[in-house]
Amino acid sequence: MLTYIVRRLLLLPLILFGLSLIVFGMIQSLGPDRLLAAYVNPGVLDKLTPAQLEKIKQKYGLGDPMMIRYLKWLKNTLQGDLGWSLVGKQPVRDAILSRLPWTAELALYSIIPVVFVGVWLGVIAAVNRDKFLDHFVRIFAVVGWSFPDFVFGLIVLMVFYSILGWFPPGNLSLWADQVIKSPEFRRFTSLVTIDALLNGRFDVFVDALRHLVAPILTLSWLWWAYLLRITRSSMLEVLTKEYIRTARAKGLSERVVINKHARRNAMIPVVTVGGGMVIQLFAGTVIVEMVFNRTGMGSFTATAATQLDYASIMASTLFYSLILVLGNLVIDILYAVVDPRVRLG
Amino acid sequence: MEKKPVLSVKNLKTYFYTEDGIVKAVDGVDFDVYQGETLGIVGESGCGKSVTALSILRILDEKGRIVEGQVLLDGVDLTKIEEQDMRKIRGKDIAIIFQEPMVALNPVFTIGDQIMEAIMLHQKVDEKTARNMAVDLLRKVGIPEPEKRIDQYPHELSGGMRQRAMIAMALSCKPKVLIADEPTTALDVTIQAQIMELMKELQKEYGMAIMLITHDLGLIAENADRVVVMYAGKVVEYADVKTLFNDPKHPYTWGLLHAIPRLDIEQTRLYNIPGVVPDPLHFPPGCKFNPRCEFKEERCTREEPQLIEVGENHTVRCFFWQKVDEAKKRKVGEFV
Amino acid sequence: MRVETRRTLRRLLRNPSAVLGFSLLIFFTLIAIFAPLICPPQSYDPYMIPIVTWDKTPQPPSEGHPFGIIDGRDIFYGVVWGTRTAFKVGLTVTLTSTLVGLVIGSIAGYFGGWLDEVLMRITDVFLSIPYILAAIVMTAFLGMGLDKVMISLIIFGWMATARLIRANILQAREEQYVLAAKALGVSDFWVITKHILPNTIFPVLIQATMRIGSLVITAAALSFLGLGAPVGYADWGALLNFARNWLLGASGEALRYWYAIVYPGTAMVLFVLAWNLVGDALRDAFDPRLRG
Repeated sequence: MLTYIVRRLLLLPLILFGLSLIVFGMIQSLGPDRLLAAYVNPGVLDKLTPAQLEKIKQKYGLGDPMMIRYLKWLKNTLQGDLGWSLVGKQPVRDAILSRLPWTAELALYSIIPVVFVGVWLGVIAAVNRDKFLDHFVRIFAVVGWSFPDFVFGLIVLMVFYSILGWFPPGNLSLWADQVIKSPEFRRFTSLVTIDALLNGRFDVFVDALRHLVAPILTLSWLWWAYLLRITRSSMLEVLTKEYIRTARAKGLSERVVINKHARRNAMIPVVTVGGGMVIQLFAGTVIVEMVFNRTGMGSFTATAATQLDYASIMASTLFYSLILVLGNLVIDILYAVVDPRVRLG
Repeated sequence: MEKKPVLSVKNLKTYFYTEDGIVKAVDGVDFDVYQGETLGIVGESGCGKSVTALSILRILDEKGRIVEGQVLLDGVDLTKIEEQDMRKIRGKDIAIIFQEPMVALNPVFTIGDQIMEAIMLHQKVDEKTARNMAVDLLRKVGIPEPEKRIDQYPHELSGGMRQRAMIAMALSCKPKVLIADEPTTALDVTIQAQIMELMKELQKEYGMAIMLITHDLGLIAENADRVVVMYAGKVVEYADVKTLFNDPKHPYTWGLLHAIPRLDIEQTRLYNIPGVVPDPLHFPPGCKFNPRCEFKEERCTREEPQLIEVGENHTVRCFFWQKVDEAKKRKVGEFV
Repeated sequence: MRVETRRTLRRLLRNPSAVLGFSLLIFFTLIAIFAPLICPPQSYDPYMIPIVTWDKTPQPPSEGHPFGIIDGRDIFYGVVWGTRTAFKVGLTVTLTSTLVGLVIGSIAGYFGGWLDEVLMRITDVFLSIPYILAAIVMTAFLGMGLDKVMISLIIFGWMATARLIRANILQAREEQYVLAAKALGVSDFWVITKHILPNTIFPVLIQATMRIGSLVITAAALSFLGLGAPVGYADWGALLNFARNWLLGASGEALRYWYAIVYPGTAMVLFVLAWNLVGDALRDAFDPRLRG
């Protein structure tokens, strides 16, 4: 198992390399003139003479062949220099580091309830097959699965912010933001909810939570529906298996048959198929952060893309891919854990 | 011999309510199983023999329901008792072995887990004792290195070893009745013989009754004491094994026996019962075997025959069983 | 086979969610076809929502503007013509990306060896970036616009089909009937086009149907981010983008703008729901084992 993990980790740079090549290629295909726009204020651009333009192009190496430029980027990246972010008006590295915790908090608090609630509802639906509860849960699932996250987010925003005033958009209220930026507030984990508790600032904790509830709900909704569907059909399939009959023939109670014998087996496709999809939840932060006006990796990436901030795009694309690939590795390992027939390697 | 049966099934009817209609999988079956004896139940696939077994244990899927009849275990009607009382009987008084040990064992638990689970459920022992008992059981069913095998998963064992593990699990609480549903069908011929031998030995040791369900008449001939022949959800003939093989009275039994290749006489061509098992949704009127019967008369398509006594402990469901006798005499050179 | 087909049809018709899905789909198809009659276009490009007032503030439903007005544009017009946009995007992207996947998967499965290895590693790389993110970045580079959105969605949307086809070809190669055909000297190419692909086409079609819904969502999300359809284009995502701006700035009185979300939002949810229900129904009907 360990050798498998190591081998997969060794493969990781290769995938990232291929991906960076694709994204870089896309960027370079724009041609030096379009790229120039990223370095010069558009208002100024029109007033420059061709000679001046040429000079700027040379300064940034825009005229160089693509391979040279790629190697330059690679060298800088490997040295930890990800370039200058136009959107963040700071080095890309700093921009990412300051935004990452907000997104991490959102994604982690979403994914954990998603897994538990989704699987739980799926098992309930399967056990009560074709009864009222099953129909209800299935309708919830199919409608939920059809709800675009941004539509759902807008409705949540309308109801819980505009009408009820419970859950405001943004990351934090102004006052709380000032608290966490003050020198007395010590950053232990950079996750603001946890830090607030560690600092004994319960008011900040509550404020952070109020800002998190709506985005979490929006981000989770879709995947609840999805996981519940997979779990349900997987459970139904497992319940027809002969070893379930064996378990019943032993005299086990229905509760043990379902919670021990059936659920463990039903988890296998949930982990492999469902897990692969649920990682996509991370990508959902792009939309959700935009809907709720949150600062984070998602909104950073989306803004960078709309403003053609190349350095930031490269970095955040690789960041999201890293999460996806690592997530898939975790799923493979989990697969071997739930299914003893699987040998990694 | 006036023995009291351990298990007796009386007029059992199990129907399945499917979206295409009602399937009468078991439609009025009677038989008794005696202590220390083996009852063979034989028939083609779909004749209701497995459903009978599942009905006895009440582990039918949700579409199936026992609509009539009794299953008496030491005089207690299992169809009437509460589910929680039934659970105490499953695995303890009546255990079952299925055809395919690969699919009948849970792939994500070790065989030790699965055997110990049954032990700890029905006997008040701690985990350590249960483990020791499981090791002993595995040794008893002939699994080498039981201390090591107990921690292996089903996929790590061979087919024969899996079936042995399955038997160990079924025997873990010394049941009064062991139902073996096609226990050797999925195994190699040499392994088949070993498994049957093992079951006979264990039967002698524990004195339990075995219900051997199979389509294989050879297996019946070697292992059963009495035989029930089933066709389309009904018992068509019931006799002790010698009588059945030497003097079959039902055309279907006769056909089945005829279909076995024999070495002791010269056969030009193997006999086959013509036609196929009827669709359980569209049984023919009258005797259900009539479309395939070579002794069919007009009455057979109109009226359903009842079981009639044709000898001591020998019943048959046919109007014209004498015809089979005549046919036997005609073909005496071909069939002894 | 006849009996089987009739049974499948009966199963479809007896399943209320399938009936609902097909009805919704027919409803949307009719709207898309008769869009010019329901909302006669007022400029040379019928997809541009006509500007009815220069006042940018949203206005609630009124006579002549049953769904209200946002950004000076008639929401009803946008929702009706947006149906065409949704069909256009969903069907074009699904069909093209499925075709691309079909070709790549067939090549990988058919030739095998190093070509298969290379194609599958490329597939891995394409799969290593989240779909929505890939679409956002790609569209940004190509320059905004609905056609660019579609191109991006195709470029990053073929992998699932390719893997499915490849797996099926590899599996089918071991099947008895294929081995028999090969033993008779039939060429691999013939075997694939004649025997394997027809048997694979159903799962591929079902997979494609089930993908249309989420594709339409992704495309609309890009428009919502301002990357897709140009301002004023009849697109549900773009309409919702207008709504977002008003919502965020309007604490306490957002209910005033409900129509800006509810109408385009409902259209979108129902459209996606229709495809998902139809996809589910097809899967259940043709492969009851996977019933979910």
